[in-house]
Amino acid sequence: MKRFVRPLAALLLVAITAFAVAACGGSSSKSTSASGGSGGGSATTTSSGGSSSSGPTQTIHMVQGTFPQSLDPGKDYTTQGSEVNWIVYTGLVTYAHQSGKAGGTLIPGLATALPKISDGGKTYTATLRKGLVYSNGAPVKASDFVRSVERAVHIPWGGSGAFITPIIQGAAAYSTGKSKTISGIQANDKTGKIVIHLTKPYGPFDNVLAFPCLGLVPSSTPLAVQANNPPPGVGPYKVTSITPGQSYDVVKNPKWKPIPGIPSGHVNVDVKISANVSSNALSVLNNTADVFDWADTIPGSLLPQIKSKASDRFANVNLGGSTYYIFFNVTKPPFNNQLVREAVVTGLNQVAMNKLSSGTLVPACFFLPPGVPGHPTGPCPYGNPASGGNIAKAKQLIKQSGMAGTKVTVWSETRAPRQQWMTYYNSFLNQIGLKSSIKVIADANYFTTIGSSKSVNPQTGFADWNQDFPNPIDFYLLVDGKAIQPTDNENFGQTNDPKINAAIAKLGKVPTTQIKGNVVKQWQAIDEYTAKKAYLGVFGYQTFPFFMSDRMNFTAAIHQPIYGWDFTSFQLK
Amino acid sequence: MAAADTAGTSFSDAVSGSYDSDAQDLPPGVGPWKLAWRRLRRNKVALFFGFIFVLLVVVCLLAPVYAHDIAHTSPNAEAGLTATVKVGGKVKPVVNSIGIPIGPTWHAKYFFGADINGRDTAVRLLYGGRNSLEIGAVATIITMVLATFFGVLAGFYRGWWDAVITRFADVIWAYPAVLLGITLGTVFATGGIGPIHGTFLLAPAIVVGIVYIPYVLKPVRAQVLQLREREFIDAARQQGLSSTQIMFRELLPNISSTIVVFMPLILANAILLEAGLSYLGAGVQPPNPSWGTMIAEGLQPLPAAFSNVLVPGFMLVIAVMSVNIFGDGVRDALDPRAKVRIAR
Amino acid sequence: MIRFIVRRIVAAFFVMIAVTIITFLLLAATGNQAARLAGKNATQQQIHQIAAQYGLDKPIYVQYVKTMKNIFTGKAYSYTQNINVLQEVKHDYPATLSLAFGAGIIWLGLSVLFGTLAAVYAGRTTDRVLTILSMAGVSFPPFFLGAIFLYFLGYKLGWFPLGGYVGLSDPWQWFKHLVLPWITLSILFIGFYSRVLRSTILDNTNEDYVRTAHAKGLTDGQVLRRHTLRNSMIPIISLWGLDMGQLLGGAAILTDSVFNLQGVGQLAATAIANLDVITIMVIVILTAFAVVLLSAIVDILYAVLDPRIRLA
Repeated sequence: MKRFVRPLAALLLVAITAFAVAACGGSSSKSTSASGGSGGGSATTTSSGGSSSSGPTQTIHMVQGTFPQSLDPGKDYTTQGSEVNWIVYTGLVTYAHQSGKAGGTLIPGLATALPKISDGGKTYTATLRKGLVYSNGAPVKASDFVRSVERAVHIPWGGSGAFITPIIQGAAAYSTGKSKTISGIQANDKTGKIVIHLTKPYGPFDNVLAFPCLGLVPSSTPLAVQANNPPPGVGPYKVTSITPGQSYDVVKNPKWKPIPGIPSGHVNVDVKISANVSSNALSVLNNTADVFDWADTIPGSLLPQIKSKASDRFANVNLGGSTYYIFFNVTKPPFNNQLVREAVVTGLNQVAMNKLSSGTLVPACFFLPPGVPGHPTGPCPYGNPASGGNIAKAKQLIKQSGMAGTKVTVWSETRAPRQQWMTYYNSFLNQIGLKSSIKVIADANYFTTIGSSKSVNPQTGFADWNQDFPNPIDFYLLVDGKAIQPTDNENFGQTNDPKINAAIAKLGKVPTTQIKGNVVKQWQAIDEYTAKKAYLGVFGYQTFPFFMSDRMNFTAAIHQPIYGWDFTSFQLK
Repeated sequence: MAAADTAGTSFSDAVSGSYDSDAQDLPPGVGPWKLAWRRLRRNKVALFFGFIFVLLVVVCLLAPVYAHDIAHTSPNAEAGLTATVKVGGKVKPVVNSIGIPIGPTWHAKYFFGADINGRDTAVRLLYGGRNSLEIGAVATIITMVLATFFGVLAGFYRGWWDAVITRFADVIWAYPAVLLGITLGTVFATGGIGPIHGTFLLAPAIVVGIVYIPYVLKPVRAQVLQLREREFIDAARQQGLSSTQIMFRELLPNISSTIVVFMPLILANAILLEAGLSYLGAGVQPPNPSWGTMIAEGLQPLPAAFSNVLVPGFMLVIAVMSVNIFGDGVRDALDPRAKVRIAR
Repeated sequence: MIRFIVRRIVAAFFVMIAVTIITFLLLAATGNQAARLAGKNATQQQIHQIAAQYGLDKPIYVQYVKTMKNIFTGKAYSYTQNINVLQEVKHDYPATLSLAFGAGIIWLGLSVLFGTLAAVYAGRTTDRVLTILSMAGVSFPPFFLGAIFLYFLGYKLGWFPLGGYVGLSDPWQWFKHLVLPWITLSILFIGFYSRVLRSTILDNTNEDYVRTAHAKGLTDGQVLRRHTLRNSMIPIISLWGLDMGQLLGGAAILTDSVFNLQGVGQLAATAIANLDVITIMVIVILTAFAVVLLSAIVDILYAVLDPRIRLA
């Protein structure tokens, strides 16, 4: 999953966070902290030289809490980076520029059509469009695709270990240095034909081709991260003026030639980084900045203010691709007992937990979120999660299980509200009759620690998943019994159910574009089964704040389910 | 006590070398300790604050009694998020729908209000105080024991012992206290070294204890360097006493007033530094409360429940201030010439 | 004299080296860095690859030497963000500088005032009140005092901005953003400095030169201004030098953080929270360097002024 990098968590900044309300409490002249901290000089109009459109292109200002891991697509695996990179580095395949579930649809990008799948799902064939040029004016060649894959494997890109190195034939040999080339890719510069051979049928490979990381870059691009001077790409925008950690500009690409389904964009975006997210939110509220980064959190104390003053330009959107859950380790007591798991799912009060995140959770019980095909439509097996949990029933289930008094350790990250959620969960376990204590691990180490299934073998604790792409397999790898490994394990609960394993093996091969009708029904059945067995304590889907200044056209702006803000949809009123 | 923000560079500087406390001007027949006690008894302000501190300690030790018999809850109570409380005849949720906790009710339940997880602030305040004071005390013991031991060793043997020990002290001292504190604290809280792990409540005590060693070690060493040249040490040596015996029987009693003077200073510093570390997340680890963690947690729902910052903050200030003022009195009593100055 | 200076500098150098080694070893104990860098769903192989790339598979002393080399050749890139740490420090430095010097001037001025007053009125009510106040001052942790200021003066009254730093290009905003941090930081020092000054002045009043001055017929005020105070300022100024050294090295972590000044102190706190080894190393070197250097200078200055010290 893409990493949600958040500005240094909680403690240091909350002090200011909290007080921030003040600035918008009274007259606008009080907005000193906003105008100060983030250098939010008010929006200006600048003419961008070399723009192909007639007249000057307007520039809008975006405030972001964290600088992207990298603006080189070959490295970046964060939401902050892919949000920009997907409109700068178009791949052979890309996603529809639309809000909601429609945004998850794969469309041809630099390829003339979606790749042809043959050889039982092991061969993908695509043909490059004619006349494509990079943002530096150089022509695009089919063989450039090879360089993108080589970079992803060599640099390495954060997702390559899951999606590229073991999937594309010869990529593994290339990564270890056994081979100088990747044997599984053939590209013909003359015809523009690109053939990719996979090691095994891999359903979501079209989605893999849509990663900005596999967006085309010139073959001459070095096999090292180009952090401050990223390579040219093919897309409606390009990135310029990078000051690491502080700012960058996303400006219209003058060499862009329109491709069906990919809008050309309206304005240039000048992105400024300020770790003080509350001051960022305030500058948008006070119209000294235009766009708030959706991956940042608006402090709960500011929400009432924003909801009342800016309801026409603010929305908490469930992008439908992320789930918060509690993992249950089924290899040891008490969670190897289904009744105990049921008790937790039955009694957990999602309404109470939602208080801890200022109401930004959508109550849920199914692992697959609504934006992913296979999200069940039926009722939750253990009561409506929006009604607040049945403690009495949970207590009774624990008694019935004979596990009362069993010692439990709850694992948690440090940052808010995750730590607060787990603090609640910990006391909840004590309340229903287990003997629980909590262990809080530094954010930077958390997933490595709980991923040590052999040495640490954690009992239960916090986990979350943000989709890489809207294919159920992206979620179900987290409960795949075959994917359990001694270190860097992601099946934290070590779920190993033959029925689920079989479904993963079978349905995982189905190409994303063919997940419909009966396949969707089968995924729904599996997800209902997972919920029924209470393998995971799902406690909500995450919503994200989409927030703009007054002068922006909020209704026209797209909340892309995979990338968040769609910069090409930004326009002034 | 700027130790909480920068290190006490000047702390050691203000004390080292300038200490020469033998109470030379004693009237005959009255021991130095007795005389000091007489002086301290006359200092009503110091005694008052000493009393306040003792009171705080007692109240914090009674935390379980308060929690059980008065507030009827526990520091990590369950169901606070969903609970309600009756205030002025009206039933209110302890934590409202956007996560703002209730303020002080001034009743047995939620006397000082609740924290964001709906736990009773007053109860956590007392348990947190217990942890803060306990950590402060253990840290002080660690500092005093190690600093005295190595200080005496360095001053008595000089040569290599001295060189090695002083260099080590210099290394610790070259680190600003908070920076060293959070680095050590984070190491304990994340990886841990051996059995010392973040969830071990006394881990911060070890961190704080180490940080302050040089500030006591340097003056102890300086004093021992002076003392070892005195006749009574020569006399002891001629009597055939071993080095260990000389150190324990002759030197230690002579530096005891220095040690006593430093104790409250280090205690006050230790409590403050622990709070600073906990505030930055490198001290006491949740769910254990301490005044520092409570202030940090209290900042989250701001500005709605500022009492959650004020209450633990003022407890902290009162505790540290009373130790400081009492310590100042002790110092005046033991060393009326006021050569050892208040530490930072 | 020269031998003393050389010895002091050599010792300072070894202390610096030891500080960096200890920091490096401590940070190595915080878990597998390569795994941390590789992210959430990395494979074993990917972790090895990253370890090789950053040299994390090498023996620890090789890693240490390489890190130090990178830092001193200006090529220290933070692992997590791939940003040149020295540039980052440079960017954050104006805030640190503004905080340190502003606060330094305030606390020096006020502690001279209060310290002198307390000494002149020693034993009387003014002295007692000032003693209690200075004790209270040194008992306030900056993050708590800062929070109180922000809440009441910033939020309730709206007199000051709610944290953040504005560059000197806008002097009025710069000033407004720094007033509260200056006061918060100063209060910690004023209590201590005025106590030190008070007792130094009291010590000096018994010295011969003061008696001589009185004998020459100078008034109390004249003696205080021309002789006692001037001599008593020497230890205060040297303390000030050392404390400034620390603050310039980014030691005001708590004040910096609570006011969100984004100076070097806050950078340190962020780096430690993210376990960003390279950034932490750079800041530790910077602060340790400032402290060691300034204490060496102070030692040498003392030695120059007072030859007895060299013998000790």
